[in-house]
Amino acid sequence: MASLPNGLPIVSDRRASPLPALGALVAGAAAVLGLLLAEQQWEVATLAIVGALALLIGGKLGWGEVIHRSATDHHRWITPVAWLTAALVIFGLREHNFELLMLCTVMLYMVAGLGLTVQFGYTGVVNFAAAAFMGVGAYTAAVLLLHTGLPHVLVILAGGLVSAVIGSVLLLPLLRTRGHYAALITIAFGILFRTFLEVNDTLGGPQGLKVPGMEWFGLVFNDAIEIDDETEWSFYLRYAGLCLVLLFFAYHFVRRLERSWLGLSLDAVRLDETAASAFGLNGAAWKIVAFSIGNFLAGMAGAVYAMVTAFIAPASFTFGDSLILVSIVILGGLGNPLGLLPAALIVVVLPEKLQVIQEYRFLLFAALVIAILLVRPGGLIPRRARDYFPGAGGR
Amino acid sequence: MGVRFPVAIAATFALLCTLGASAKDTVKIVFIGPLTGGVAANGLGGRNAADLAVKVRNADPKAKYTYELMVLDDECKPNVGVQVATKAAADNNVIAGVTHYCSTVAMGTVDVYHRFGLPVVVWGAVLPDITYANDYKEIHRVNGTMINQNETAARFMATLKFKRWAIIHDTTDYGKGHNKYFTEYLQKNGGQILGTFGVTADQQDFSAELTRIKELKPEVLYFGGITPLGVRIRSQMDKLGVKAVFQGTSGIISDAFVEGLGPLAEGVIAFREGAPVEKLPGGRVFMDQYAKGGYSDDPEAYGPFAFAATTLVLDAIEKVGPNRKKVRAELNKTADYDSVVGKITFDDHRQNAVPLITKFVVQNGKWVVWEDSEYASGKRSLVRK
Repeated sequence: MASLPNGLPIVSDRRASPLPALGALVAGAAAVLGLLLAEQQWEVATLAIVGALALLIGGKLGWGEVIHRSATDHHRWITPVAWLTAALVIFGLREHNFELLMLCTVMLYMVAGLGLTVQFGYTGVVNFAAAAFMGVGAYTAAVLLLHTGLPHVLVILAGGLVSAVIGSVLLLPLLRTRGHYAALITIAFGILFRTFLEVNDTLGGPQGLKVPGMEWFGLVFNDAIEIDDETEWSFYLRYAGLCLVLLFFAYHFVRRLERSWLGLSLDAVRLDETAASAFGLNGAAWKIVAFSIGNFLAGMAGAVYAMVTAFIAPASFTFGDSLILVSIVILGGLGNPLGLLPAALIVVVLPEKLQVIQEYRFLLFAALVIAILLVRPGGLIPRRARDYFPGAGGR
Repeated sequence: MGVRFPVAIAATFALLCTLGASAKDTVKIVFIGPLTGGVAANGLGGRNAADLAVKVRNADPKAKYTYELMVLDDECKPNVGVQVATKAAADNNVIAGVTHYCSTVAMGTVDVYHRFGLPVVVWGAVLPDITYANDYKEIHRVNGTMINQNETAARFMATLKFKRWAIIHDTTDYGKGHNKYFTEYLQKNGGQILGTFGVTADQQDFSAELTRIKELKPEVLYFGGITPLGVRIRSQMDKLGVKAVFQGTSGIISDAFVEGLGPLAEGVIAFREGAPVEKLPGGRVFMDQYAKGGYSDDPEAYGPFAFAATTLVLDAIEKVGPNRKKVRAELNKTADYDSVVGKITFDDHRQNAVPLITKFVVQNGKWVVWEDSEYASGKRSLVRK
């Protein structure tokens, strides 16, 4: 690409071809299906090698730029097509219980990751207790489902709300501290949360709680879908649909947030709080907004997660799980919601695929993540400069 | 191409026929346990034992099938447990399972097995609710529950004429459960509890609890928890001059406990389900074969149970063929089955109804069965002067 002496690309009015974006979409869907359905070691290995090659070659040839231009020039129809593809992938897996469960987990981790993106990626508020906030949502959902007749859609919202409210307990210490100290406060909260659950017998104690399934206008999510005598669709299909809807709203909410003046303010607070306050931005207020939004998203993800797995225990929401969420956000590219997809797939699905090597799987997995970050220190899909005008492709 | 093509086809066909005639059908079973994380040692011991059971069976020319063991790691976390259980149970090639060391994981997965109709035998998780809080025909358990363990413990300690106890337990499901059942049975046997202290599993300093216990002057300190915590409490007891007898649960019966304490371990008493493996004919064979198997980790306390559970499952498949429903019915019927951990008979909740509880005491740096020890013969006394 030709460029001006100052390094800026020459702006052209020609719209890019939609093909690269469509190609990326198809390749992405194929990769998701391939990764989920790969059974044999060589299949997983082939996928990993192809993925690594695509990353290396694509990085050298600037495929990312081409795809980005193509996608933003045609975003009006590429985005709906992308969601449709996601729905088709889920439908294609309708008879595969385990794969749908994994996909649900991936999508819910993405929703929680979106929450962290708002906190961590946009505003610079550290949160090493994301799993604990998912846990708050999960336990809220469990209690509401067990003891009240609240409509289940509202239960999901309640999970988010309670999580945001409980998160506000941390606001005062968080606003008074910075950097490592703030991180320490969230870590302490995560550990506190777990210890509290373990000694609390009304919430199931260390043994955990069984969670009833979702129902929506008489539709019982936990029943398998019988098509005819021969075929039976997995009951996880409905949950996967629910997760996709949740992800859809969360994703577009965060995208809109980023593009609006709210997102600008959040970015300003992260980049230079003093400068931001000189321009009249109240840093504390924006941190509160970001922290609450993030916890709200994590809480909703947790509420749905509780229904999907049907069983929750303190051991599912440990500090280790919070670190996994943070690593998804960093691996994907801090601040880029799109990067969450490949990152969550790698972090959630890959260890599962490495079960064949049993106790050594986390060793290999960790080495792989380090290797990726060495090659791409900005994450798989780094955040780009803000698009002030949608459809302008960064021009 | 000429003549060569049909000849090649015929040759291939003939080869396939001979292969088909000599090879047995392969049947897949699954082992699930914690292979990574804090209790990985127990999971690996169980995994090796299950692996050994499958290898022994595959080496047996009389076996009708060749068995393949699918091994999955539940990380001792219920959410991961549900994932891997779904993976195994949704795979129609998997006929049965030998599953779970961690109680909280087993609690989360029993519904999954029931939903998909995969018969499983629990090999290590001790929480009573796993078998008793549901009526799922798929769930069996070869090891006893903490109810059995504490019933025997309370009765036995009462016969030794102890009257006053203090209790320290960790706040995990394991420690809390033990506290609950021991307290219940101790009161039935006329024992008195002076104080109960819950501590987190990673607590380092117990001066506060132990100082208070010293004032209470109990004869016995009951500890519900596992080895690392037990080592810390026992050594700090000595520093603070708490003279009580140290009574533990199955969680401290490990070589690490004795090695970690040295002479301080002397006279520590604990209880475990199952007959002492070394004393059963089948058990000795198990230990020999395990040693020969070249595994780098010890079988640990529950290895024999994993071996027994796997063998039980394999026997059921041998008898009725690789069909989940038939295997389930066959497992349900299990009665008076000889295994390396003693007889196995399932009750109406498919819980092994004859769990032998063995009493252990540390003598000269070794866990010794109580009846064989110098403590039982009266040569030594548990009470420290």
